[in-house]
Amino acid sequence: MFNRFWRIGTAALLSAALLLAGCTSSKPSGSNAQGGGEGAAKPAENVKLTLWYWAESDAPGANDWMKETIQKYQQAHPNVQVDLVIQSTDTLAATFQAAAAAKSGPDIAMQWATMPVLSQVWAGAVAPLSDYVPQDELKHWLNLNENEYQGKQWAGSLYLIGVPLVYNKDLFKKAGLDPEKPPQTWEDFEKALAALKAKGITPIGMGNKDGYTGAWMFSNLGIQELDSTDELKQAVLSGQDLGNPKFTGWYQRLNDLVKKGYFNNDVASLDLTQGWKLFPSGKVAMSWTTDGNLSQWIKDMGEDKIGIMKTPVFGKGKLSQVFNATQSISLFLTSWSPHKEEAAKFIQYLHDGERLQAWYNRTGVFPADDRFDPNNIKSPVLRRLWDLETHGSQVWLENYIPPDIDGNGDLAAGQVILSKNGGPADAVGIWKRAAEAWKLQHPDEVDNYKNWVTK
Amino acid sequence: MPVKQPISPGRRRFRQPLWPYLFALPMVLWLLAVFGYPMVKVVQYSFQVVGGKTVRWVGLANYRFILRDPIFWKSLSNNAFLLLAVPILLALSLLFAILLFERIRGWRFYRAVVFLPYVLAPTAVGLAFGYMYQYNGVLNTLLRHLGVAGADWLGKASLVMPSVMSVIIWQQLGFGVVLFLARLMSVPAELYEAARIDGANWWQEHRHITIPQLRLAIEFFAVVEVITMLSWVFNYVYVMTAGGPGFASHVLEYYIYKNAFAFRAMGVASAVAVMLLAVTMVLVVFYFRLRNASQAAEE
Repeated sequence: MFNRFWRIGTAALLSAALLLAGCTSSKPSGSNAQGGGEGAAKPAENVKLTLWYWAESDAPGANDWMKETIQKYQQAHPNVQVDLVIQSTDTLAATFQAAAAAKSGPDIAMQWATMPVLSQVWAGAVAPLSDYVPQDELKHWLNLNENEYQGKQWAGSLYLIGVPLVYNKDLFKKAGLDPEKPPQTWEDFEKALAALKAKGITPIGMGNKDGYTGAWMFSNLGIQELDSTDELKQAVLSGQDLGNPKFTGWYQRLNDLVKKGYFNNDVASLDLTQGWKLFPSGKVAMSWTTDGNLSQWIKDMGEDKIGIMKTPVFGKGKLSQVFNATQSISLFLTSWSPHKEEAAKFIQYLHDGERLQAWYNRTGVFPADDRFDPNNIKSPVLRRLWDLETHGSQVWLENYIPPDIDGNGDLAAGQVILSKNGGPADAVGIWKRAAEAWKLQHPDEVDNYKNWVTK
Repeated sequence: MPVKQPISPGRRRFRQPLWPYLFALPMVLWLLAVFGYPMVKVVQYSFQVVGGKTVRWVGLANYRFILRDPIFWKSLSNNAFLLLAVPILLALSLLFAILLFERIRGWRFYRAVVFLPYVLAPTAVGLAFGYMYQYNGVLNTLLRHLGVAGADWLGKASLVMPSVMSVIIWQQLGFGVVLFLARLMSVPAELYEAARIDGANWWQEHRHITIPQLRLAIEFFAVVEVITMLSWVFNYVYVMTAGGPGFASHVLEYYIYKNAFAFRAMGVASAVAVMLLAVTMVLVVFYFRLRNASQAAEE
């Protein structure tokens, strides 16, 4: 009898222990930049905000800036705790997909601008930022049009990223080119490439194992025959129109550059950030890059060694003259957050004057705010970049295609060309297939995309 | 005082086996929750399209989409290509195991060296080889020093899958060697002595003694590696090639991952996952039948 009692009791205890272990909820991971002042008075409601954050790849120093920002905010608002969760580039979209599907996760999240944000808006995962941040504040934030839909701004900008074509002045001189007059037309660009190649200098250094260089070529070359982004959207909806040279004819020009050996010979086996290392090491004459890298290269190589230019023009479309600055990544409020007002106040705080200056000091990347004083930009090269990014129209074309078509079409097509595994016709076929697959798999999104085109 | 009635033998036989099951029940429930529920949901999703806020039942549409998708067929053909690694692994594992079994000097050290790659994380292995296989990486630099032109191992569509396969073979080899060596240790030495007395040479010894003795281990290793090549190579592809260039190194797991998490096509991803699960289950059943048949033949 005692044995039977012992067995029953042990089984019951084991079951209870396992059930308790299964039911215990885990604390979310991520750094916790706590910094509230000791002994500060706390009002009634304590608020905990979770921020999923990505910016370091665009702007080295961004993570430290955010940790410092959180610390200052918490000191000023002792009842608010902000949990910072750094996201990685490869999982940024996928992780948020999972959160959106579960309607659970961060209060503030980030996705790349326009379509990656709007696809989440259409999925019901985003609350409109303009409902929580006053217009007299929002009017100072730059490039907000990138996340505008049905008269509302759904996400906010933090910084501006442009993609200039950077060139090495010494290598230009060595090839007999004028370092103060970089090529502006495509014809002049091809002459410069040939001159560099003739002197044994690799003209362009990039990395495309991850597909991002191909995507950048789409945004810099694919835009040049278009008069508006709506033309692209219509082509995406039709699928078949993507075969029109207006939209994909530029692949022939890219193919020509590849065939003539103007890219580094390992472009297909380096990823984007690995490819960038070629320029500051003096192995290549030119490279497309972002503001943050440019700032660092100026420090590494010297102001007088580097020049920047817009991507040379061959196209006749109205958009051939625009520059390509984008807010890159956008901050938004999640629809399930119980603290939207407080989260919006935190996002506003990121645009505080002192925080804007601190951002620039740390990262060298321009804040997306017209209250930032450009006189703070001491480098002539960076000042020229600021003028390019803040004057005239700005379009980063990749923002306007659905993420599926970006991944399955844009990136894949660029890889086929840059790795010499196919030609322009193969690239067009990839785009068409990606567009058809998107329409089959996301009928709701297609309807919303159509509404977006006609609005 | 009431008299306790003795338990009849029938009741005693019924009650005694329950205790092990009761102790195992919490874990079984947990496994059903962790594995069973997701499997049911995956099958359910494979018949649906999740479009933003709506979920639609579409029947076999996702399966039809997959069968018309050239990327799916490319992924499947890449997995089929990787199956070529199985006979290579079998042959190399046997060879190394036999060499170690013959107790060459330092065999324990060599065993550890051969097994070491198997315990490394596939992600770390993929990263390291990703660097080594770059066009101007370590491998090509070495080849050029030897007067051999390098190749774009990861950037050329025709070379990317053999390059990935080479890494998988490098890592999986240790498992086969240790498996076969452990089995060889239990083979009676008298068999080899008798064979030598009968005049058998090295090849005859291993062909007529070693391989038959290792049959069960070979079958087990072959099935495990076939399952590995079908459904356990995601890490290598994700880290080394990201499925590129283009779609040249897509495999089924990567196809599932991209559709589920990058392209939000959960229905398509689930349909492929169901197909992969079905193939894997067939292999597992095939293995058990093979093993039973082998054991019956031995008896």
